[in-house]
Amino acid sequence: MRQLIAFTKKEYLELWRNGRLTLFGILFLLFGIMNPALAKLTPWLMEQMADTLSEQGMQITSVTVDAMSSWAQFYKNAPMELLIFVVLSSGILTGEYQKGTLIHMLTKGLGRHTVLWAKGLALLGTWTLGYWLCFGVTCAYTAYFWDQSVLTHIGLGAALVYLAGVVLISLILLFSVVLSTGTAVMGAVLGLAAVSYLLAVIPKAAEYLPTYLLSAGGLLSGAMEPSDFLPAVLVSLGITFTSVAAGTVLFRKKTI
Amino acid sequence: MNILELSHVSKAFGSRQIIRDLSLSVPEHTIYGFIGQNGAGKTTTMKMILGLYTIDHGTITVNGEPVKYGGNATNRMIGYLPDVPEFYSYMTPSEYLFLCSEVTGMEKKVIRERSEELLCLVGLEKENKRIRGFSRGMKQRLGVAQALLNNPKLLLCDEPTSALDPLGRRDLLKLLQSVKERTTIIFSTHILSDVERISDEIGLIKDGTLALSGTTEELRALRKSDGFEIEFRNNTDAERFAGLCDNAKRPDCLVLFFENQGEREMKRAMEQLSQQGIVPRRIELREPTLESLFIETIEKKSGHTDGGEQG
Repeated sequence: MRQLIAFTKKEYLELWRNGRLTLFGILFLLFGIMNPALAKLTPWLMEQMADTLSEQGMQITSVTVDAMSSWAQFYKNAPMELLIFVVLSSGILTGEYQKGTLIHMLTKGLGRHTVLWAKGLALLGTWTLGYWLCFGVTCAYTAYFWDQSVLTHIGLGAALVYLAGVVLISLILLFSVVLSTGTAVMGAVLGLAAVSYLLAVIPKAAEYLPTYLLSAGGLLSGAMEPSDFLPAVLVSLGITFTSVAAGTVLFRKKTI
Repeated sequence: MNILELSHVSKAFGSRQIIRDLSLSVPEHTIYGFIGQNGAGKTTTMKMILGLYTIDHGTITVNGEPVKYGGNATNRMIGYLPDVPEFYSYMTPSEYLFLCSEVTGMEKKVIRERSEELLCLVGLEKENKRIRGFSRGMKQRLGVAQALLNNPKLLLCDEPTSALDPLGRRDLLKLLQSVKERTTIIFSTHILSDVERISDEIGLIKDGTLALSGTTEELRALRKSDGFEIEFRNNTDAERFAGLCDNAKRPDCLVLFFENQGEREMKRAMEQLSQQGIVPRRIELREPTLESLFIETIEKKSGHTDGGEQG
């Protein structure tokens, strides 16, 4: 446990000193502000574009925005947040192989599973802080501008998207063990996400896929029920535990 | 007691056999020079001792405990210094040693004291800047500090001087010599003068097997071709003196070499020089060197092909 705490602390120090924690903070804060801001600015934007659109034969009558518009923006931006998170995090372990920094730690007796779990905790912490910061800012501004009481399951919807991020973290860990460069890890994780999106065109398969979690915005309007997400949640938890367990076993055998 | 024992160890990468039935033992509190050409298998052997490579056949024990691939139990007794140590560049030396201490499981109350002591030993006690700005020599010294942090019973140094300038090399060798009382050092290199300077025992690895081993003195004694050398100031003197001696070789027009001749013959030659009124530029007794023995052994075994770049 002491090794895990020490190495996790080192991970956070690294995230802080190389500026990645600040970068994540700024990006997620911007996303948080952007969601209600875009909703708020939509009528004004449409007004500005009205002349151009009418020339093209489209008539803008009136645009009404409400709390749901802000949350719709939140769910539209979620895949972009996940993409940025994967791009910035995929070299977390492979960078150590390439620089050779892990050798000293392993030859000091640091358990290999500790390395992997500490990396996982660092990613999880970053994702948790960034994502819930974005959620908090969106929630606060939305509540300030509009009445949110008509919406349901705001927290649960956000938690489902958060779970999608956790699945990606577990995949980053697994592929970091199997592959040797950050680019390869990023390619594998995003490739798998793309496959999940492609499989979603099969109606019966869609609700079992982790990408289904990103449609949790439907909970807020009442178009979907929490139970609709149960298969995707179970599959996502299964993928997460399997990936971490497989990563832990394979890392013990990896030549470093 | 032997701190390290390798028994019939073999290792191949694909079809390439790197280590073949290697057996060696290293007694406590010695400096063991592990020499060999590039690609002879030195680094592979070290990485097997550290549990970073699998062992195909045979066993390795550290202080009586078997080394397991991917395991960390024996590594708690080992300090490791690679040729070019890499650290977390955003940390200061103190922070890095603190992290290593925590990983090693040292008691919290001794961490600070021990870190300060080691930074002082390697001359980095006043360095508060981040490792990012360190020179190669400074990194190597920090490498020694981290390797000694847990009071290891065995210190593995893999070509620690190969990337250093002459001053850096001298300082590092002094440092290693100074810690000999605390630990056993295995020191791999292809720079033979370094090994000769500090090692008590030497093992020469060639094509993955131990071609020679023994104390430095024992190995030197194996080489019989002692001799002395006279360098003249001009060709005329060299010609004249060569005409007086029938047993001299002439590797250079200004140099005469008297093979297998000792001090007595050298004194006689000096008297002759004096009688002839010749003042040489240099007269030197040639001690048998490890290098000559190394080359002799490598050449004797040259029937084998080299193992490539695998260190």
